[in-house]
Amino acid sequence: MFEVFARIRRFLPLLLVLPLLAGTAIAVAQTFKTQIYDPETRKWYNYDQKRALKYYRKHGQAPADFQRQVVTFRTAEKPGTIIIDGDKHFLYYVLPNFQAIRYGIGVGRDGFGWAGIVEVGRKAEWPTWTPPAEMVARDPNAAKYANGMPGGPDNPLGARAMYLYVGGQDSIYRIHGTTQPWSIGLNISSGCIRMVNEDVIDLYSRVEVGARVIVLMQGAALYKGV
Amino acid sequence: MRDQQKLRVKASEMATRMICKSVIAAGVAGFMATVSNAAEEKIVIGVPAWPSAEVTANIISMTLEDKFGAKPELVQRGTLTILNQVGQDTIQIHPEVWLPNLETAMARLEAADAAVHLSPKGVDAAQNICASRETLEQTGVGSVADLADPEIAAQFDSDGDGKGEIWIGAPSWSSTAIEKVRAHSYGYDQTMTLLEMPEAVAMAAVDVAASLGRPIVFYCYAPHHVFKLHDIVTLDEPTYDAAKWKMADRNQDANWIENSMAATAWDQSHFHVGYSASVKDRPEIAGFLDNIAFKPDDIVEMSYAVEVERIPAEDVARAWIEANQERIGEWTK
Repeated sequence: MFEVFARIRRFLPLLLVLPLLAGTAIAVAQTFKTQIYDPETRKWYNYDQKRALKYYRKHGQAPADFQRQVVTFRTAEKPGTIIIDGDKHFLYYVLPNFQAIRYGIGVGRDGFGWAGIVEVGRKAEWPTWTPPAEMVARDPNAAKYANGMPGGPDNPLGARAMYLYVGGQDSIYRIHGTTQPWSIGLNISSGCIRMVNEDVIDLYSRVEVGARVIVLMQGAALYKGV
Repeated sequence: MRDQQKLRVKASEMATRMICKSVIAAGVAGFMATVSNAAEEKIVIGVPAWPSAEVTANIISMTLEDKFGAKPELVQRGTLTILNQVGQDTIQIHPEVWLPNLETAMARLEAADAAVHLSPKGVDAAQNICASRETLEQTGVGSVADLADPEIAAQFDSDGDGKGEIWIGAPSWSSTAIEKVRAHSYGYDQTMTLLEMPEAVAMAAVDVAASLGRPIVFYCYAPHHVFKLHDIVTLDEPTYDAAKWKMADRNQDANWIENSMAATAWDQSHFHVGYSASVKDRPEIAGFLDNIAFKPDDIVEMSYAVEVERIPAEDVARAWIEANQERIGEWTK
């Protein structure tokens, strides 16, 4: 059994080209890498797309550290608050009595892109995905969904979406599901927060509209605030 | 004649009585007007963005209302903005003027004939660079100067650029500018990225680091609830040396960081109530503000109640007043 302990380590940018679902294809940069530790061989392995896919095919789930679990979490934040740590690829949902549910997440190739305090402005089940205008312009496969791709198993937003608002306005960032469950723990694609569908359904059932979301500071270029 | 004299005397007495009554009436009216003005004259209390100040601002406001019949207004602003407005008398009270953080601004206001009056009884405080206790074992960091070592700093890297990250305070805090100077003076501005963010974001990062057992360093101040929530230690540094501590005014010097110096620990910090010239002219209120004497433990409890127990600052203030009637009585004598 390949037991792993996931840990994030940073390396030089590495450009990858990944196939995307729904027939689209986008050049995606894996700027940072995760490493996972194999206690049997006592070695660290790069947890990149190739290894992530291999691991997922073998185990049918992400490495143990990225699986949903209740952890001790002493905080001043009130229960119901979400804390996103894009660096370590974790999302915390604060519970009473200094506990939290920790979920594994995938984030954008540059992390989350910003840090600060936002809120869940609205929620949607099997959300519609509307590709950004630039994607529509360059990709015929995306162009056919210019008016929105209906929710469903092939929709990149997965089973649920929580829309993050700043000062009552949509920030364009979302916490959503994915059709690429192997990608949890990686930095790929655009800047949203991806969770496996089972986890995003679980989170969705707990989170209330108006919940506070704290995105942690992550890196030099990312501290723009919101 | 006698009758006429009696009549004149009576007339005179009546006139005197009438004049006296008028004078008394006028005096009473004037006195009433003074009391009324004192009660109705606008008092604006600034509320800076940290939890204990939110509570102390409410305690001051409620006491002014209860004991002096005033109707204060609370406004949220950055600490420097509040201080400047107290100097201009557009805000009358700053509940926590931190020193030495605001010394430069205080001197500038005084030079501009807009002095802010400070209550004499301050609360002892401290400002440091903090770490979780396990950070010391994990990274080998022990002192603030160690952060200038690239190998140590790299252990706090969270974005892969080879430099560490350290939160130095919220953008609106007076201490944040001084922390920039300290980072420059120690040299860790070259090895670490200095992060400015609201305190809640930084404290959430401390919570996450504690949960994962990961290293973290950050600016900290005491009294503060984080010391009750986590096992936090301060990094070593040379004791405060006035000869090595010089702050240029960032409002007047474009190269204020380079022209400043602070390669030692902070001086013993303390904070006081600050108030404007118009309050100074109202001895009963100025006397109350001068008598306020919170203890560090009061401040920790207030901070913990607001931040960890999530009790609204107004409710914490009300409960504190209820439990400390004797002290309030002493302060308002």
